[in-house]
Amino acid sequence: MSGSDRMRGIANIRTIARREVTVRVRTRSYRLGTALLAIGVIGLALLPVIITKIEGVSSSKVAVVAPDATVAARATATITTLLNPSSSASSAAAPDFVISIASDLATARQDVVDGRLSGVLGIERAADGSLAFTYYSNDAASGRTSSLLRQGANAIAIADRLDRLAIPAAQQATLFLPAAYAVAWPDPARTDPVKDGAAAVGQDLLGFAMTILIFMIIVMYGNWVAMSVAEEKSSRVMEVVLNAATPFQLLAGKVFGVGSAALIQYGVVIVAGVAALAAMPIIAAKVLGGTAAAMSLPEGLTPGLLLLFGIYGILGFLLYATLYAAAGSLVSRQEDVQSAVMPMTLISMVGYIVGVYATTGLLDARSAWMSVLVQIPFLSPFMMLGRVAGGLAQPSDVVLSLVLLAAAIVVAIWVAARIYAVGVLLYGQRPGYRAVWKLLREGM
Amino acid sequence: MSLVIDGLRKRFASVQALDGISFTVQPGEVYGFLGANGAGKTTTMRIVLSLMRADEGTVTWMGRPAHDWPRKTWGYMPEERGLYAKMPVLEQLVHFAALYGVPRPAAAAEAAEWLERFRIGDKAGARLETLSKGNQQKVQYIATILHGPDVLLMDEPFVGLDPVNVAMLKAAFLEMRDRGKTLLFSTHQLDQAEELCDSVAIIDRGRLVTAGPTREVRRSTGHQVVRVATASGNRAWLRAMTGVEILRDGADFAEIRVAAGLSPQRILEAAMANGPVLRFEVADPSLEQVFVERVGALADDERTLATAGARA
Repeated sequence: MSGSDRMRGIANIRTIARREVTVRVRTRSYRLGTALLAIGVIGLALLPVIITKIEGVSSSKVAVVAPDATVAARATATITTLLNPSSSASSAAAPDFVISIASDLATARQDVVDGRLSGVLGIERAADGSLAFTYYSNDAASGRTSSLLRQGANAIAIADRLDRLAIPAAQQATLFLPAAYAVAWPDPARTDPVKDGAAAVGQDLLGFAMTILIFMIIVMYGNWVAMSVAEEKSSRVMEVVLNAATPFQLLAGKVFGVGSAALIQYGVVIVAGVAALAAMPIIAAKVLGGTAAAMSLPEGLTPGLLLLFGIYGILGFLLYATLYAAAGSLVSRQEDVQSAVMPMTLISMVGYIVGVYATTGLLDARSAWMSVLVQIPFLSPFMMLGRVAGGLAQPSDVVLSLVLLAAAIVVAIWVAARIYAVGVLLYGQRPGYRAVWKLLREGM
Repeated sequence: MSLVIDGLRKRFASVQALDGISFTVQPGEVYGFLGANGAGKTTTMRIVLSLMRADEGTVTWMGRPAHDWPRKTWGYMPEERGLYAKMPVLEQLVHFAALYGVPRPAAAAEAAEWLERFRIGDKAGARLETLSKGNQQKVQYIATILHGPDVLLMDEPFVGLDPVNVAMLKAAFLEMRDRGKTLLFSTHQLDQAEELCDSVAIIDRGRLVTAGPTREVRRSTGHQVVRVATASGNRAWLRAMTGVEILRDGADFAEIRVAAGLSPQRILEAAMANGPVLRFEVADPSLEQVFVERVGALADDERTLATAGARA
């Protein structure tokens, strides 16, 4: 290929990609899709604010009716701490439960019936001096609130007994100190810190979300490529284009064009998401009132992970899109595209399901076969991010999978260009797999 | 120094689509490529354009293999619409020209000029699918020539056009020829070919039947055609003659195929013996007659297909 041919080739790829982008970006479905995705992402980004707002509005009121002031004070303090876990008591957001002291049990019970209170905890002192608790509520007897109140009742009763045994308050405090308790890996060789529940769930969710996004990118935009190829072929515009450009240029232009349209869509969505996150403190202050607590990005969402997400998204798209284009070139009608792209859809589905099962713990992500599977180029875009998010992948694993993925793209382009070169002018019956194999070996 | 198609063979699975097609198109001529549907016209064109590879045979233009010439040497107009249905007219014309390396502003200016000339200048911004079939065909023609190709290959350019658009397209063809372009177009409308083409090739079932300058092809059967009308209208004398075959027994005149060796003068003499002669004309057979005669030498079922295609 001479230098000027190469220039012409690049110019043609650019011309084809340019048409692909301008035409696609103009369609109503593209604009509507972009808008819906952006709204979805903004909603997702503001979810903490929305949840806090909703929960803040519906904070439950529980009243305590106690035989004396000491018990009332102790009960209020204990139940408040138990029912409103962690630091939310100190935050500006409304606590989950507001505990008040009522003097008359019958009035308080009527308040529950009328819906002004969600429950009343009645405390009575029996003849033997011990405390008896009754929770009057429409909630289920075995519900979360009820069981937390049962814990609280035990603590209040024990403190009360200690009072009656005349144990000084200072000693009582030591009695209630928590015991030393730890969780450790069963494997003595493992030294990495044990994940705490919230962080582990956060990382799993992150891996899960990224796997879904990559799957959507590949299947949705891959289908665009296949549909676009089939459309050109069914309208015979293909023959006119092929008089000017080589099948390879057409293939590359399509993949880059659809890829650019996809990047624009993702760019809009990411900008919307980032803007929503940046505006969140202001929105939170407006919606929730007062100075809202700082709300941060999900734990583990590092710039490095985001970069890897972009790389796997783009490389995965390139690998699948070239093959989607080849599949699209084999059919004469757009209605047949779905059956032609079935092999790619199935493979990506396998990668997606295995990836999701591994991040959610349904499959053992540490097993040996999983570390082999994750290196397979057709699967790594769906599986590696979950492993990275979960801290299971070494940098060398990531590098190896990227090298393999890049090599697979080169092979896929070669295969796709050959199928494409023959497929685009093949009208009529869709060739079977054996015919495709024959075309690959022999060329035109 | 011409477009030389030499010994093309192409097989699709069980069908021998081309079985040794050879003909030569001189630079600057309008060449008609005639055959029934399925005769191999489109396949030949695709091979000339390097869209498809022949099993055997070569195509050269000006002494060099056709696929060695820059792509902008060739202009191709496929049989069915080869345009983007949902794209605006001018935008896609510029797109196609850009694929051949024509700068966009220049392409836009020339495309606009052609649209005006074809009286569809107001459709420049409209989506192609909103145009009538005839107007779409005009757009297709502009897409074929916008990059200034030396050789134009057009597959059934007149199909589905009304007479006004046919005339417009014919004028555009002849203008291209006058600009020194070489035109090869396929058709099964033989009257169009007869009117426009300097030379023709007739193919049937992948085989070349005859090729050459249109006049020579029309004479190639060795027969002549006589058109005669007498005042009486009585044609009993004609039916009594040997060596004549009445092709057309119209109320106005009769058209007669005269066997080789029989002089048309004998018919004139016989006509005059039966009263005043209003019309007497000696001509070569039309391309259609040649086609039916030459292709008719095949088996019955094939003839049916070929003549049906020729008359469609």
